[in-house]
Amino acid sequence: MEQSSILEMIGIKKSFNQVEVLHGVDLTLHKGEIHALLGENGAGKSTLMNILGGVHQPDDGQIKLDGQSSKMENPRISQEHGVSFIHQELNVVTDLTIYENMFLGSELRNKWGMLDVKEMSRQTNEVLSKLGVHISPKTYVRELETSYKQMIEIAKALLRDSKIIIMDEPTTSLTDNEVNQLFELMRSLKKSGVSIIYISHKLKEIKSVCDRYTVLRDGDLVGDGRMQDTNLEEITQLMVGKSVSTDAFHHRKSTSEGNVLKVKNLTSSEGLYRNINFSIAKGEVVGFTGLAGDGRTELFESIFGFRKKYSGAIEVNGHPVHINHPKKAVQAGIGFVPKNRKENAIIKDLSVIQNMSLSSMGNFEKNGFIHSKSERDKFQHYKDQLNIKVHDPNVTIDSLSGGNQQKVVIAKWLEVDADIIIFDNPTQGIDVGAKNEIYQHIMNLADQGKSIIILSSEAPEILRVCDRVNIMFHGEITGRFNREELNEEIIMEYATGSKREAENVD
Amino acid sequence: MTNLQVNEKQTSSKGLKNFNWLWSEYSVIFAFIVIFIVAAIMNDRFLYIQNQMNILMQVSTIGIIALGMTVVMLSGGIDLSVGSVLAMVGVFSVLSLNASGSIFVALLTALAVGAFAGFLNGLLVAKGKIASFIATLGMMAAARSIALYTADGGSIAGDVEGFSSIANANLGIVRFPVIVFLILTVAVYILMTKTRFGRYVYALGSNEKAALLSAIRVDRIKIGVYTFSGLMVGIAALIETSRLNSISSSSSGNLYELDAIAAVIIGGTRMTGGKGKVIGTFFGVLLLGVLNNMMNLLNISPHLQGLVKGLIIIVAVLFQKRD
Repeated sequence: MEQSSILEMIGIKKSFNQVEVLHGVDLTLHKGEIHALLGENGAGKSTLMNILGGVHQPDDGQIKLDGQSSKMENPRISQEHGVSFIHQELNVVTDLTIYENMFLGSELRNKWGMLDVKEMSRQTNEVLSKLGVHISPKTYVRELETSYKQMIEIAKALLRDSKIIIMDEPTTSLTDNEVNQLFELMRSLKKSGVSIIYISHKLKEIKSVCDRYTVLRDGDLVGDGRMQDTNLEEITQLMVGKSVSTDAFHHRKSTSEGNVLKVKNLTSSEGLYRNINFSIAKGEVVGFTGLAGDGRTELFESIFGFRKKYSGAIEVNGHPVHINHPKKAVQAGIGFVPKNRKENAIIKDLSVIQNMSLSSMGNFEKNGFIHSKSERDKFQHYKDQLNIKVHDPNVTIDSLSGGNQQKVVIAKWLEVDADIIIFDNPTQGIDVGAKNEIYQHIMNLADQGKSIIILSSEAPEILRVCDRVNIMFHGEITGRFNREELNEEIIMEYATGSKREAENVD
Repeated sequence: MTNLQVNEKQTSSKGLKNFNWLWSEYSVIFAFIVIFIVAAIMNDRFLYIQNQMNILMQVSTIGIIALGMTVVMLSGGIDLSVGSVLAMVGVFSVLSLNASGSIFVALLTALAVGAFAGFLNGLLVAKGKIASFIATLGMMAAARSIALYTADGGSIAGDVEGFSSIANANLGIVRFPVIVFLILTVAVYILMTKTRFGRYVYALGSNEKAALLSAIRVDRIKIGVYTFSGLMVGIAALIETSRLNSISSSSSGNLYELDAIAAVIIGGTRMTGGKGKVIGTFFGVLLLGVLNNMMNLLNISPHLQGLVKGLIIIVAVLFQKRD
């Protein structure tokens, strides 16, 4: 009202594979403000920003820049409109120098058609000093600290005369000092009339640096306003929302004593996690949650033998085990359903049946040769048990839907007869119906006495299926709770590091 | 003809789908048939049984090497060392033959040296984490050099009677090396489709990380793959040496790696691994053999034959369905 709006996104809708992920979202950005875009994972923030950045096209709705309707047909057009997108993963080429990175794709040339190194260095220097950074433009990017790499991304945006800068979780890899420096910079950009859309999970940071906010939940706009008119509790409430169809899943309580898996003082030599202690009993479902970069995936990749550089002890059924290869983990009775199914879990050129039997070929051999009939029969068994929908199990696995692929991966670990099954992001890319089915299968496994570990950054998922939850922040367990004493707000507090009660509970 | 067209229209999409599937899976067989027919039309001597047997005899060495190469390429790697290792194996097996006077010792030497060279390749790729292209390029240079040094740059001839009959014996009208090639084709087919090792090779070539996370001993499979390729080279070297009863340290096996790789690629195996068939390689080998034979029968200058072969390889791959 008091300020003119530089950007209006009105009624933006977007579907992927017939699933609508944005149900008509509005976003208004004023000139010279820092605007927080908030929401949980999967709320639709990235999709909305990718639409603004020209990566995706909206199914409906319009984008107005300075009051004029604009179409962001591809990232280049978006850039030409003055929108710069600084992604969470840095897009710098480490084997090039700073100035080469700054002008990548739009190099300046002199009258002979050769690269005008002098002019590019000069302009780079100019922008860098505006940012208070004093390094030679000819320094190779690989020699720089992470925060400086971040600076280069920002400098790139400035060089292009950006009017709108989108920053997606820019502080995850920065130290406190560097974060403060970044905030200083953001404030001075604001003064010079640049608008910033700031995506972060760290609510405290947001409170200190942002002017206004927009909160998304499940693809809907649930709230917006001025930062000074609200508080962190209110925002958290908005992000989490009232629990919708989050009926918890339950399984029989195990009666057995003793721990199936015990982990003592596990510390990564690469600094990915440290001082991890926990144990799991037969038939228990234990969750590990936190934000991106909390180290939980790396922790369990180590326990599964995929990562080898760590110290500490692992005991399975009371016996110390030395696991330096996934094969050893399987022999110890551990199974692992990894995240990013396509990259880590399925072999797309193998058939559905072959993916099922891959980790337990010994079960399907006769005189040293594969016995296809027993493979087929066994698959039929799992197809019925897990309700896998496939017409011809000899087709390659990538022709199945995400949910059915995941069931095949689960069947693979059931066939190995693992006592402990680790699920990393078990419902990634799976629609709601299939999600509940997967949860139910996990409960059945717990009923059968399997010990289950669930890794997920989705708080609702953790709350629905886990008996106990460990919350991680920056490679450490910061909180341990039973399901009854936990809610999404508490998870958020411990996952963002605002609270910790680590070492006293065990 | 008209009937056929009507039928095709009736089964419309399904028939088309089937054809597409057949084409994408077995296009090399179609290509082989076309070239075979063209050769038969161009020169009537082509179909003579003696000529057909010659073709088979000529391709058997490359064919056996290509079988090993198929396994390596399905795993996502490549083996550039096969030609040089063939020369090295040949030199050592003739030396051991002449020293011991025993054909059996020569045979064991050939298999052992070939497998050992392959094992080293595998070790470099799996444990040394060196790209297969580089590791086997190193082996290519090293093995040739060892062959040259050992044989003093020249050829060595066998002086034990009976050695040359390995490659020159006949079973009916079929030469022994052809039989070895056919038997090995069936054996490698079974290895790749009916055993755990074969399944793991496909898995590893398609997605190494997922294979490792499926608790497959990826390193051991890789070492096995290169060792197997080396073993195949050992067998091929034995045939090559026995055929002329001598081996040339400088020229034997030259550019065999290119012919073997060409056969595998024409056979439809994906460069990056995980997809391909032994039967495809078999027909890829035959296709190259027929092509060579046809150009000889047509008196095409040997200097131009490389051009024709190169074009055929590129056209074959262009027409293959890619993902």
